[in-house]
Amino acid sequence: MKGIEEAYQLLFMGAVLILAMLIIISMIRSVKGPRVADRIIAVNMIGTMTIMIISILSVYLGENYLVDICLIYAMISFLGVVVLSKVYTGVFLKGKHMEANMEAIEDNIGRQGERSGKEKDVRE
Amino acid sequence: MIGSWCRFGAAALFLLMGIVFMALAVFGVNRFHKALNRMHAAAMGDTLGILFVFLGLIVVRGFSFDSLKLLLVILFFWMASPVSGHMISRLEMMTDEELGEIQVIRKNREESLEEKIDEAV
Amino acid sequence: MSRRRDNYENSRWRRFKRWLEGEIDPLTEGGVGLSKAPSSTAASLEGTDRGREPEEDVALSPGDLEKDVALSPREPEKDVALSPGGTEPDTLPALREPGGRGLRLYRKFYQIMSIFLCLGIICVLLWTIAYLPAFGNAGNPDNNEVSARYIEKGLEETGAVNMVTGMILDYRAFDTFGESCVLFIASCCVLVLLRIDDDGGSGDAEKRKREANDRVFEPKNDIILQKCACVLVPVIMVFGIYIILNGHLSPGGGFSGGAVLGSGLILYLNAFGFQKTEQMFNGRTYRRITVSALTFYCLAKSYSFFTGANHMESGIPLGTPGDILSSGLILPLNICVGLVVACTMYAFYTLFRKGGI
Repeated sequence: MKGIEEAYQLLFMGAVLILAMLIIISMIRSVKGPRVADRIIAVNMIGTMTIMIISILSVYLGENYLVDICLIYAMISFLGVVVLSKVYTGVFLKGKHMEANMEAIEDNIGRQGERSGKEKDVRE
Repeated sequence: MIGSWCRFGAAALFLLMGIVFMALAVFGVNRFHKALNRMHAAAMGDTLGILFVFLGLIVVRGFSFDSLKLLLVILFFWMASPVSGHMISRLEMMTDEELGEIQVIRKNREESLEEKIDEAV
Repeated sequence: MSRRRDNYENSRWRRFKRWLEGEIDPLTEGGVGLSKAPSSTAASLEGTDRGREPEEDVALSPGDLEKDVALSPREPEKDVALSPGGTEPDTLPALREPGGRGLRLYRKFYQIMSIFLCLGIICVLLWTIAYLPAFGNAGNPDNNEVSARYIEKGLEETGAVNMVTGMILDYRAFDTFGESCVLFIASCCVLVLLRIDDDGGSGDAEKRKREANDRVFEPKNDIILQKCACVLVPVIMVFGIYIILNGHLSPGGGFSGGAVLGSGLILYLNAFGFQKTEQMFNGRTYRRITVSALTFYCLAKSYSFFTGANHMESGIPLGTPGDILSSGLILPLNICVGLVVACTMYAFYTLFRKGGI
């Protein structure tokens, strides 16, 4: 019986350590990421791995209430992604004086297409 | 005794699978070149990684109120993670300046392919 | 003044003096002593007139413009020219386009120093952790008679199974009252700073229009987010209410439950917009909920302190520990704190986004 407890301990500690290392690796992307979307993705992934660590700890330490914290953390990270993407889209489109709808996407892509086409004409 | 070791084996298998998926997601996020591709990798960690890690913990816990809560976390993630992915992808579609050029380039390539096929025929 | 040199206007001391007196801004017109570009010296010669409109300087000199574009490659070159029917074309480029060389140097310095600052803070915190006493050590300074009293007699005196809630809402309820008041005062201060009035002068009307204009650009009525919010917001609300009501039985309580409630409100607001949310939650609701919760907290705790200090029976039943309706005043106080925290979170969000509740 003692062997299995040690095995569980080893398993959980190893999992937590690997997840912690993965968090540090994905933090590189959150610092380096050239676009805002990259940073949001990386931070969201850090949140996911933190939730995993908390849940593993809740089983490892035998504390049930940590699962509640997982749920709250998931909520807050989801809300953070929604609010951040919305705010940043608003800020960006304000700089372009475009309203946010499907036409804005088409406009963004279409205008870029026109510009690159013009550049090609110039090159030719 | 053998039963508990079997349970340990199953839990370890699930946990390791989840961590492998998470590691793949981190690798993809650091390896891909465009934000939309990175989002694809991250979404895999958000769904499969969470699923397998929490399944492993449920196997450890057995059938109880806490495993129900863990299931609730999985359900919440599967509800919320696609929506957050949708929000990020819309942000990227609206703000990326170079996205249009890529699509245009691809379109040109297709056209040129068709032209080549036409010429060959 | 006869000894005044010819190039006195260009000398470092003169520039430093002018910078000290606030005549020129070195960040918008090249560095103090660093810039030797002819355009920036010409700009600094004319002093205050140019200093008021730095964006024109930048726009006039083509070399600077190219450098600026090279500095921020994501910004398109034809940004200003392309804007169709822009109402305020002058304010945005002024904010976005960086000035001379001094500003660029300052930015690089700022980035490098921010990295060093972060690393320094991380090192100091890790160094401090190494000196902390071991977790659970019996000789730690926090293991004194106060916590011993809380642990031994907490359940029987407060009736709360969760010891922490019994501590913060019974033994130290006055402290918690101060915390909720601080939250209320903080939201009042933000209200004073950020609120945009209806009945102001013409400037306020313009400001309000601009603020509304800001929100126009955000994506609205995303049907995927709305359908998701239809499912998730009730779940989040019920979970928040569960945390608040179980505050004296399980970890949680007013503060965390209130934060969950507030985040549910903010999610609803993001999905459905301000107009729909104001039908159920506006400034009047905010005021009523916050003031009544704080007043109830104050009165209940005053009664409890008064009777306790005079060694009288308070007449509040403690109930059996473990039930929902137990532990005397802790449950209503938790509800009050949760309401205040939820309202404060929502008010902060709306004030920063819209300038009004």
